[in-house]
Amino acid sequence: MKMTALANILIFLCLFGANFAVAQDIAIERGEQTYMRVGCYECHGTDGKGNEAGPPLTPDTLPPEAIANFVRFSPGRMPVYPEEILSDAEISDIVAYLDSVKPSPDADSIDILRGLVSEEN
Amino acid sequence: MVSSSKESKSEVGRRNFLKTAVVAGAATTLPDEVSAADSPTQAIKSDAQTKRGLAAPSTEQMNMEASTLDQLAEASSEQLASSNSADTASSFGSDFMIDVMKSLDLDYVFSNPGSSFLGLHESITVYGGNSKPEFITCMHEESAAAMANGYYKAALKPAAIMCHGTVGLQHAAMNIYNAWCDRVPLIAILGNTIDAADRMGGTTWRHSAQDPAAMVRDFTKWDDQPASLQAFAESMVRGWKISTTPPMEPIALTVDSTLQEMKVDDRDGLAIPKFTPSEPPQGERGAVRETAGLLVDAESPVIIADRLARTPEGMSLLVELAELLNAPVIDIASRQNMPTKHYLNQTRQSGRLISQADLILGLEVTDFWGQINSVNRAEMTSEPRVKEGVKLITISVNDLYMKSNYQDFQRYAPVDISISGDAEATLPVLIEEVKEAMSRSRSRALSRKEKMFRKMHADSFEESRQLAASGWNSSPVSTARMCMELYEQIKTEDWALVSVGASERFVSSWPHRLWDIDEHYRYLGIGAGGGVGYGLPAAVGAALANKELGRFSVNIQCDGDFMYANGALWTAAHHRIPLLTVMHNNRAYAQETMLVQGTANRRKRGVDKAPIGTVIQDPNIDYAKLAEGMGVWSAGPIEDPEDLRPALIEAVKVVKSGYPALVDVVTQMR
Ligand SMILES: Cc1ncc(C[n+]2csc(CCOP(=O)(O)OP(=O)(O)O)c2C)c(N)n1
Ligand SMILES: [Mg+2]
Repeated sequence: MKMTALANILIFLCLFGANFAVAQDIAIERGEQTYMRVGCYECHGTDGKGNEAGPPLTPDTLPPEAIANFVRFSPGRMPVYPEEILSDAEISDIVAYLDSVKPSPDADSIDILRGLVSEEN
Repeated sequence: MVSSSKESKSEVGRRNFLKTAVVAGAATTLPDEVSAADSPTQAIKSDAQTKRGLAAPSTEQMNMEASTLDQLAEASSEQLASSNSADTASSFGSDFMIDVMKSLDLDYVFSNPGSSFLGLHESITVYGGNSKPEFITCMHEESAAAMANGYYKAALKPAAIMCHGTVGLQHAAMNIYNAWCDRVPLIAILGNTIDAADRMGGTTWRHSAQDPAAMVRDFTKWDDQPASLQAFAESMVRGWKISTTPPMEPIALTVDSTLQEMKVDDRDGLAIPKFTPSEPPQGERGAVRETAGLLVDAESPVIIADRLARTPEGMSLLVELAELLNAPVIDIASRQNMPTKHYLNQTRQSGRLISQADLILGLEVTDFWGQINSVNRAEMTSEPRVKEGVKLITISVNDLYMKSNYQDFQRYAPVDISISGDAEATLPVLIEEVKEAMSRSRSRALSRKEKMFRKMHADSFEESRQLAASGWNSSPVSTARMCMELYEQIKTEDWALVSVGASERFVSSWPHRLWDIDEHYRYLGIGAGGGVGYGLPAAVGAALANKELGRFSVNIQCDGDFMYANGALWTAAHHRIPLLTVMHNNRAYAQETMLVQGTANRRKRGVDKAPIGTVIQDPNIDYAKLAEGMGVWSAGPIEDPEDLRPALIEAVKVVKSGYPALVDVVTQMR
């Protein structure tokens, strides 16, 4: 009897975990689609790695609330994304996508960048 | 002297016909040579076809082919010369025109052939031996104008373009405008038939105009339509002088076809006036002295340079001035003014420095207002970004060449001292006056800033280096990876980045962030009028100059720009112009994608339509195939960044053996 209860709990946890993982995958996929559709990639790159036009969004992606706060009132060059064209839920998906992106190598681990010096001597 | 009656013109006509027949006769013996001369390109092409992707034709093979080509070219020009030996004396109006061009040491005429300048065309190739000037075959007049622009910026020597004064000039106009905004001297020779009685119907009428230069008068410094050969000589020399006197600008000369065909009976009766280059205008001494005093006393002066360095001397002078004052320099870099790795090159800190400055000195800055104000384009608002009481001083030739119609002169900037004069020519005096005004103790005090500026320089370099690592392995390839892999392969050459699209910002300014741009010729600026369709042909023109100067030319090429005037690639192949082109192929007019995106966001009616009309997809363009089709070695499209290095290594080999090469890289938008 005790064994069965334990088994049930285990099964529940596995299913829950699997469900959670599946839900997370779906959110990531939706996030990527939204990220591309509303044009984030134009300035921040297809995987949020940034450049001169738009800063990197990953790693250390801001939480959805902070991002929402920024894009709704962006004071600078960044186009404003009001709620009616980019919902909070979509922003959460975008954050899930950005969190899933593989990190970039460190500058010092890249042969070309390692030896670069700022001044000629 | 010159026969100009109708009778003698028709005499000329008959003689010309006979002469043309002789030349045509000579030409019939040429096809072998012509096809043989084409063979190296063919060989490259077929080689590229088989090895496309990663391999180059062998150096040996290409050396052999190049020398065969040179021999053939020599042989055929000798043959032409001997076939016309009876006629080599200057006898036509256009021959005399070539004498004038030779007197000015004109190296190249960039042109697409046209009947309104047949006489000149024939005289260049036959009478002039196709050397000084040499006829460079262009596939579009827009390319010709950009090539002349790029050529000047690399050679620091003007070139000419030659086109129909009507349809050809309509094509060339945009890149003449780019040259105008860039203060580049350029001689536009416009074919025309002024005397309606000499027009033989159809095209000769459609290709004639009362005033061809009217079309470009708003963005040329001077133009003329000389009515005699003597007047041509004077106008050509005068135009050359006007064009090369700062502010340097394009000029246009309409050259009548009847004048070109005119028989010259008495060549000695025609004189070519001596050309004496004008000394550039120098700023007034008193105002320069006052500026020097203010500079020495300023606590946080900032120097902004845009088109200051007309020559390498400009760069040396700027370094000297900046070091004397330990003043940071912001290099807008329409010419390379300041070495990127000099600790006083603080371009990346411009916002902060400008807002804290107590004195700002602008040296040949076209948009000074834009430097001292910040603009929010979307909101249509602007506000000063300088401190109250900041002293503003400009030295430039801006007020010496303005015209009313085109608004390239930018918003009016109120300043405290405005010195009209060429900044490069004025710097020696300014430096002298600064030395005069500088006490020892002041000099010691200023030198204490050095440490701070070295740290600021190192910090912004490090910031860029870290940013370059972000997305290093991304596909599409990051612009940082593309630029840095490229730099890695060329940095040991005597390289020159001859073109980088409509703006270096299109590749996130990586060359200026991380490359060691230590010479004036290593960077030539952009298409200054913002007219897209400049990049590739300007690169080809510059690479032609660099070929003689022994420099390795590199072009970072945006895809949108490429498709305006890609025939320039054929010109590079045909004239054996070594040039490494790396495609920044973001499959878009990305600048416009972003702008449309911003507009859509502002209007809040949907933000997912920005790609319509702004992306270059479906189908994707295969630039390597296009290049290959024009006889240019190519590789790509490269999507995996790991494939970039081997392709670049091969491409560098091809370019070092004297040929153009193209590597197509599929990139992030910025
Ligand atoms: C002659 C001309 N036509 C159109 C424009 C508008 N325009 C500015 S940037 C740009 C996009 C250029 O695309 P590309 O060269 O690929 O650069 P990207 O922005 O994609 O890096 C266009 C079309 C222009 N400046 N000049
Ligand atoms: Mg593009």
